[in-house]
Amino acid sequence: MDNISISLLEGGRTEISEIRVDGVIDTLTATQLEDVLDSLLKRDRYKIVVDLAGVDYISSAGWGIFISHIKDVRARDGDIKLASMIDNVFEIYELLEFDNVLSAYASVDEARNAFGGSGDDQKKKSEG
Amino acid sequence: MFRRPVKEINAEFLAEEKYLDSIQRTARESCIAASMSRKDTASVLLAIEEGATNIIRHAYLYEKGIIRLRIVIYKKLIVFSLIDSGRSFQPSGTGALDLEQLVESGRKGGLGFYMIQKIMDSVEYISTASFNELRMIKHISAPSPIGHTFLRRLFTLRVKFSVWTFIIMCVIIGASIYYFDYRASKLMYTHKHETVQALSKTIADQAAGYFINRRSDVEFDELIVSYMRANPELKLIVLTDSANIIRAHSDDIRNIRRPYRVPEQVSADTIGVPQPVTTEFEKFSYLVTPIRAGERLLGKVHTTYSTAGIYFRLTESRRSIFLLTVVLVVFGILGIYLLSNYFVSPILNITRRVRRFTSGEMETELPLTGAEEFFEISKAFNQMMTRLSQDQRNVVEREKLAKEIEVASEIQKTLLPRKLPEVPHLEIDALYRAASVIGGDLYDIFKISEERYCLAVADVSGKGVPASLVMSILRTVLQIQAAEETSAKKLLTRVDGYLSQNIPTGMFITIFLVIYDAETSRISLVSAGHTPMLFYDASKKAVDKVNPKGLPLGVPLAEGRSFEESLEELVVKLNHEDMFLLFTDGITEARGRDNSQFGMERLTAFFESYLNEHAAEPVSNLSEALVNQLDDFTGFAKAADDVTFVVARCRRCVKEPVSSESDIQVKKLREKEH
Repeated sequence: MDNISISLLEGGRTEISEIRVDGVIDTLTATQLEDVLDSLLKRDRYKIVVDLAGVDYISSAGWGIFISHIKDVRARDGDIKLASMIDNVFEIYELLEFDNVLSAYASVDEARNAFGGSGDDQKKKSEG
Repeated sequence: MFRRPVKEINAEFLAEEKYLDSIQRTARESCIAASMSRKDTASVLLAIEEGATNIIRHAYLYEKGIIRLRIVIYKKLIVFSLIDSGRSFQPSGTGALDLEQLVESGRKGGLGFYMIQKIMDSVEYISTASFNELRMIKHISAPSPIGHTFLRRLFTLRVKFSVWTFIIMCVIIGASIYYFDYRASKLMYTHKHETVQALSKTIADQAAGYFINRRSDVEFDELIVSYMRANPELKLIVLTDSANIIRAHSDDIRNIRRPYRVPEQVSADTIGVPQPVTTEFEKFSYLVTPIRAGERLLGKVHTTYSTAGIYFRLTESRRSIFLLTVVLVVFGILGIYLLSNYFVSPILNITRRVRRFTSGEMETELPLTGAEEFFEISKAFNQMMTRLSQDQRNVVEREKLAKEIEVASEIQKTLLPRKLPEVPHLEIDALYRAASVIGGDLYDIFKISEERYCLAVADVSGKGVPASLVMSILRTVLQIQAAEETSAKKLLTRVDGYLSQNIPTGMFITIFLVIYDAETSRISLVSAGHTPMLFYDASKKAVDKVNPKGLPLGVPLAEGRSFEESLEELVVKLNHEDMFLLFTDGITEARGRDNSQFGMERLTAFFESYLNEHAAEPVSNLSEALVNQLDDFTGFAKAADDVTFVVARCRRCVKEPVSSESDIQVKKLREKEH
């Protein structure tokens, strides 16, 4: 019944972590995604892009993961950016007004670029 | 509140997360059936999953339960109800939940309900003592195709019929008008041309004479002027000689003796055929007629004439034809409408009835009127409906029966001991095999005290739930009373005293009760009208029937008779390897292929021969062999009655002096038998 696969991409030099999810994020599979997210947060990695191109369906359990962490993540100058949602998922995202809370981008690159400015700032700060 | 539902779907699911898929599938089918847009369907499915997940988690707390999904499709909305009988939980936030709060709190709880509210147009949570219902309403934004098909069904036939009839009518009218108009105008034009041709010929003939006689120009002029006057449709007559010099010109006398030039659109060499000439204002025909004397060409008559008169006449007649056509078409449409009504209304009538029928009004009958075809349809429909409602009644009956069997077998299952108790020095096996319909057989083996055990086989008259319930009472009473009473006779009397007041009149129970004393190895036996017990005496290697007297339980007694007095209690001392078999008449009355009964003799013979051959084998082998023997006999025909038996063998290896008392008892038993 495990119809989800999650892969984690942590680019060596950038602070941005990319989670690529394929499948369905529902009650049964959401914990797996949450585990991955938790592991990132534990290691103080707060700039997260979630690539949802391969996700057909997200239930409240899935949205809940993003909604429940977004405040903490933002408090630490990070963000959870959702990228390349398919139409079905994006329609729900809009319908549920999650666009007020979570930012979405057409592609992973756009999402990464959106981090770009603040990411560099962060780097400079930490270097300085 | 709403209009009549178009469709209602009810489904039940186990409240487990793995069934969420099935729930969604059911909902999806309904959404598609109601032609909800793809986008709405996706979100509705999400909401349904959230609702069901909430039930599994919060109402049932992951315990076992049932989620009922009811979907009612109306023309413009769908009502989804998720019903559970678990804990009532007020969805957190009671509706006023907003996203900000969720984000602020960092909690996930309540998000599901937030989503349901966002997705659905209206959400209600109804909680009663016996069930909770989450009722969600979603409007169908796209025009419902059910409405469409409904309209299509209602009007297509009529519209199709009308349109096609109208088209056919128009084509026929148009074609005939065109044909007659074409013919009429052709005729008129031909006639005109012929007239002018004849006229021109006359002029030419006269002119030929004039040429030969060398008449003066004035005479030529008079000739054509006289013809012009007589024929107002003639516009111009020009006479030319063989050198194409004008000899007479009806318009302008000054043209005489000048060469003639024909109009651009015509050719002077086209002889005898009318040629069209179009000026800015009018259409003419132009005819060239030769003037001959024998073979010699003397000149030509150029006649220009108007066909406008024909045109006007045609237009006039066309106008009246058009008016006539309009009148015809109007009447035609009216006729089509009436005709379509005539054809469609019986169909609509049938449709209406069928719809009423499908909405549960079984008693609808179609009136047997109308054309032969509709008469047939109505008749067929009525037959179908009668059959259907009959079938439905049968189905309801069958379901009731099936439910009853289910309940009875549920009870039955609880009646039989789950595990046979360990009885000292007694090797026991028991079997209960239900017939297709749940019967009223029972066996029970239980411990009364350390030494005393009770073994019983009983048969309740009747089958089904009532019999099962009586069984369950019997078993309970037996177990409770067994602790109180030491003798089998007294125990059964107590049981009867209780049961006779508590079982329905007309129902009775036969029971064979054995109380085994492990210390003394004695069994005391009573039988309340039950089939005899078979007793195998190992020392004699012989089987005896043991049949203590007694009336069945629950039988109304004659004045002065008591149940207790009717009972005879026997005590038998068991020796090593002695065996006894308690059973119900399901065995002896089993029917063979030739419809004969298995019978007591066959059973006794089997028991004896088997034990003599397989003395050392465990008793479970005996039960197996007995069942096989029975199945061989019946040829695996479906048993009409339950098969129940208890078999026990004494395994007392300790040799003890055979008491004379028991010998006497057994002897006494045998005497009674014979």
